[in-house]
Amino acid sequence: MRDRSLWIGFLVALGLGLSIALTQQQEVDPYKEAERQRELFRQTAGILPGELYAAQGEELFAQKRGPKNASLEACDFGLGPGKLEGALTQLPRYFADTRRVEDLETRIVSCMVNLQGFRPQDIKREDVKALTAFVASKSTEMPINVVPRSSQEIAMYNLGRELWYHRAGDRDMNCAICHDSYAGGKVRLSPVRSPRQGLSNEWPAYRFEADKLYTLEDRIAFCYESVGIHPPEYYSEPMIALSIYMLAEATKGKNKFTELPGFTR
Amino acid sequence: MKTRYFVGLMAMLLVGLTLSQQSPFQQRVQQAINSGGNKFAETMKQDRDQALCSQYRDKLPPEEVGAFLERQRALIKYPADGKLMGDWKQGEALFTNPRKGNCYACHTGDPKEAGAGRMGPGLVGYGQRGTSEPVVKYTYDKIYNAWASMPCSLMYRAGYHGILTPEETAHVTAFLLDPASPVNAKR
Repeated sequence: MRDRSLWIGFLVALGLGLSIALTQQQEVDPYKEAERQRELFRQTAGILPGELYAAQGEELFAQKRGPKNASLEACDFGLGPGKLEGALTQLPRYFADTRRVEDLETRIVSCMVNLQGFRPQDIKREDVKALTAFVASKSTEMPINVVPRSSQEIAMYNLGRELWYHRAGDRDMNCAICHDSYAGGKVRLSPVRSPRQGLSNEWPAYRFEADKLYTLEDRIAFCYESVGIHPPEYYSEPMIALSIYMLAEATKGKNKFTELPGFTR
Repeated sequence: MKTRYFVGLMAMLLVGLTLSQQSPFQQRVQQAINSGGNKFAETMKQDRDQALCSQYRDKLPPEEVGAFLERQRALIKYPADGKLMGDWKQGEALFTNPRKGNCYACHTGDPKEAGAGRMGPGLVGYGQRGTSEPVVKYTYDKIYNAWASMPCSLMYRAGYHGILTPEETAHVTAFLLDPASPVNAKR
């Protein structure tokens, strides 16, 4: 009797699943739907939105801008001035000149301040996002290689791990509840991955459901918002700490970046 | 004589201070949180047991469990009229409202609900437990404060945080237990 009702339940679920699949594909396989949307962009526009951001960033990168009328071509992302190939794969890391651990976004801001002479409050978030997309595009599909070595990097990683497990807010949430306990499963319709499974390997990415470019910091902010915690400020320590934690774990899991900027839901 | 008391008092104060102080690492974490801005720091503030769960990565050592459960049980409040089972229809709306219970993000209640989560235990047919007093109370308590029966449960404390009032908790209880609820429809 119980077996039979289980079977009927299974068939009902299967039928329901199929009917949803036929009407709203993105509700069943978000990855396939993202792939489909990406193809549609290619066919109609010939270019992906992420590539547009990157192109915009490339222009900003080479332009002489700011009070010092300089380009960003001398910016050192850790591999030497102006070396962009694979730069994102080893970020966040410690920089002796600013004496702090910086992620890609924070490093871009530092260079805008130090090379171009911008005051931090005059730096437009949209510019940083475009520049992030451009620099990240030079690490497309490369293996992630974040291994905290200096004491500053190890301290930042430990901070990130602590924040990862920090339960707070009126939903008693932390990152681990979704991204460790239920990694590989789904939260409602969204697939969730753990850091080891490569969470964070597609950012910066264009999200077609939001029609916006999200950097990793934007994505972290979105997670906090969705659990009722006000996100940390951009370029702040919690952002950098969580980034180095996730990317160091992704490195342990031998993950590569996807196409960058990514294209996702 | 007086000085001896004074010295004793100072010693006790000192011990108290050391015990209540955060470790250097905890201080560093707090400093990092503060650097994320006032609003972030404000919403990241923890109550004592949230901090305990974080410290132990949601797996409390056995010697902490008893006191933890006792503290959490003391937080449960009940409706003024004492009825722990309310109106299942209102309960259904609360169950699926993302701003209220948001239960269906993790639990399947009504199997017809498209996109219900499967992270938490499935609740289809939950009412087969009957509606005896202990069953109703267990269910109510679980919804109001999940940590009163399971320390550091992944399930959040809806009543304790005021997301569900005691009356609303009773409605969700009814959604799970009422034989007329779609959770318990004959299949």
